[in-house]
Amino acid sequence: MKRTTLLCLAIGALMAAPLYAAPIELGASVQLTGSLANTGRYYRDAYQFAVDKINSAGGVKVGGAHEKLSLKILDNQSDVNLSVRQYVQLVTQDKVNFLLGPFASDFALADSAISEKYNIPMIQGGGASDQIFSRGYKYVFGTLSAASDYFQSTIDAIQKLNPAPRSVALLYADDAFDVSVADGTRKLLAKTSLKVAVDQRYSSKASDFSSLLSVIKSRNVDAILVAGHETEILNFIRQAKSLDVNPMLYSFTVGVPSADFRAALGRDAEYAFGMTAWLPSKALKDDYFGDAEQFAGEYQKRFGYEPDYHAASAVADVEAFVKAIEAANSLDAAKVRDAIARLDFDSLYGRIHFNSNGQIGLAQTVVQIQKGKLVAVYGQKGFIEKPLYPMPAWGRR
Amino acid sequence: MQLLWQVLVNGVLLGGLYALMALGLALIWGVLNIVNLAHGALIMLGAYVCYYLFTGFGWDPFAALPVAMLVLFCLGYLLQRYLLNLVIRAPMFNTLLITFGLEVVITYLAQIAFSADFRTINPSYAGANFPLFGATVPVVRILAFGVALALTVALWLLLVRTRIGRAIRATAQNLVAARLYGVDPRRLYALTFGLGAALAGAAGSLYGVVSQINPYIGAGLTAKSFAIAIIGGLENPLYVLVGGLFLGIAEALTALYIGPTYTDVVSFGILVLVLIVRPTGLLGRTA
Repeated sequence: MKRTTLLCLAIGALMAAPLYAAPIELGASVQLTGSLANTGRYYRDAYQFAVDKINSAGGVKVGGAHEKLSLKILDNQSDVNLSVRQYVQLVTQDKVNFLLGPFASDFALADSAISEKYNIPMIQGGGASDQIFSRGYKYVFGTLSAASDYFQSTIDAIQKLNPAPRSVALLYADDAFDVSVADGTRKLLAKTSLKVAVDQRYSSKASDFSSLLSVIKSRNVDAILVAGHETEILNFIRQAKSLDVNPMLYSFTVGVPSADFRAALGRDAEYAFGMTAWLPSKALKDDYFGDAEQFAGEYQKRFGYEPDYHAASAVADVEAFVKAIEAANSLDAAKVRDAIARLDFDSLYGRIHFNSNGQIGLAQTVVQIQKGKLVAVYGQKGFIEKPLYPMPAWGRR
Repeated sequence: MQLLWQVLVNGVLLGGLYALMALGLALIWGVLNIVNLAHGALIMLGAYVCYYLFTGFGWDPFAALPVAMLVLFCLGYLLQRYLLNLVIRAPMFNTLLITFGLEVVITYLAQIAFSADFRTINPSYAGANFPLFGATVPVVRILAFGVALALTVALWLLLVRTRIGRAIRATAQNLVAARLYGVDPRRLYALTFGLGAALAGAAGSLYGVVSQINPYIGAGLTAKSFAIAIIGGLENPLYVLVGGLFLGIAEALTALYIGPTYTDVVSFGILVLVLIVRPTGLLGRTA
């Protein structure tokens, strides 16, 4: 009898233990393996880096004490359905306090439904599709700027080039993010004198673009704008070369800012335009990392590869939680949610201040690959560096 | 008209590569009655072998291709000899499961070994091209097409003209009779699987030259190979070639006239149609 009582007490103590352990836990389901692992790693590494940095600076001030942050990351294997189940698990079984996001819009679109259902705030830096923020959800916040504006700065820059391109081809993959980009871009193009000569959707994961490129070539398109994924863009550029397609410029939503994309293409990456909402500049001050340049250096040293805007956005997500918890002085989900909505601070990623729909507004800087380096060519204040334009034909490089 | 001609050229060149991808799958399926779901993963491994010979030792990818074939042959032989032979008599569902498992294992090992970084095999002539009656023909694609054609014909000759080829066909047609004539099925199965894997190795090398490589390209390539093998028919390598060309042209024309977002709908739609109308493939003998 006595033994049974003791056993019951012991079990009770064990059950209660988790209530006292794990101070403030952030949970996320990220693509650590599978087809999106290449970008997923930015989130895994940047979340961990930010948590470590904040803890070594003393942690989070809440209720008069300094609490440490902890991080629980699950691998969704690049599978949307699995990632939804994992967010349910994080909320219902692991009982994490707050949620960080996965990479990619279609994931964030599905996963944010879980944060909304359980009223647990999610700050995600991996999904930019306007669809995520057009459903009136109260608990999802995003630190990537709206997909529909991705090409805004590029289109501004294009019109100031000499000789100005006259016709444009708009190509986009058929997923949530890229469809949003295309819808926005179409509206932006309608306001210009540029003629849209090709407007085509292609299937995600397509590896053959030869028909599409042949159409573009036959219509003598001056500028090509592509919203897609890195693998598709790699194939697109390689096949443009082999089919001798020579527009005056081409620009891509993703790929150009990341180092391994440039390495995979080698010299063929030259002249490609792209965009990024973040560059590791000294001007971006941060409470934990000093500034963005210092962050980039430390990140490279610790993980062995260059951070890009995905990593910076992920760090901003963790910092946003810390600032909001400190402002709310509570771990209550609803209070922290309101504090997030009121946030306004400077981070290494830029100014963090969410619009009423939960999304952030950051201007995209137009970048170009010049002699193997990523060069910022056009920003909010006009041209920064001289763009190499028009691109020389493939035969004359 | 000019555009149609260009798109047809693109389709034919793509189809040749498709056919080579499907060739190994069809061979293994036809002879061993194993639908090898790890076929795409083997293609991926072949691509990495070629990639490392190219970047590490400066080998030309077309010189590295036979080495990739040899490496994959050995891997395929060992896989069949020591793993798949254990379940060869099991129902097809079991072999499907085990090859699916293999696919997952190979893919994840590849991510650990090679990382998820994107790679390309990018020799200096990768973007070269020449005009043909007004169409632009990429040099690497026509080379890849030539290799695919040569390997298809070589496999056909091997099956029809050589002793070992006769033994392979005999085993596929009637196992008992083949054994009575002295064929050792376990060795023969391993040899056939090795050949199929070697063809995957060749396809992977060419794929890396015209496209990009990462550990996850396999599953999509398996699906495509599967469709081509069904559309063409399993009996004869030349049928697979026809299946590949048919699909390549169909996809190219779909992208031109209906829209590139529908290429998969069309190719797998054709697969369903073929299964309903001619289950033995476009050219296969009807039962």
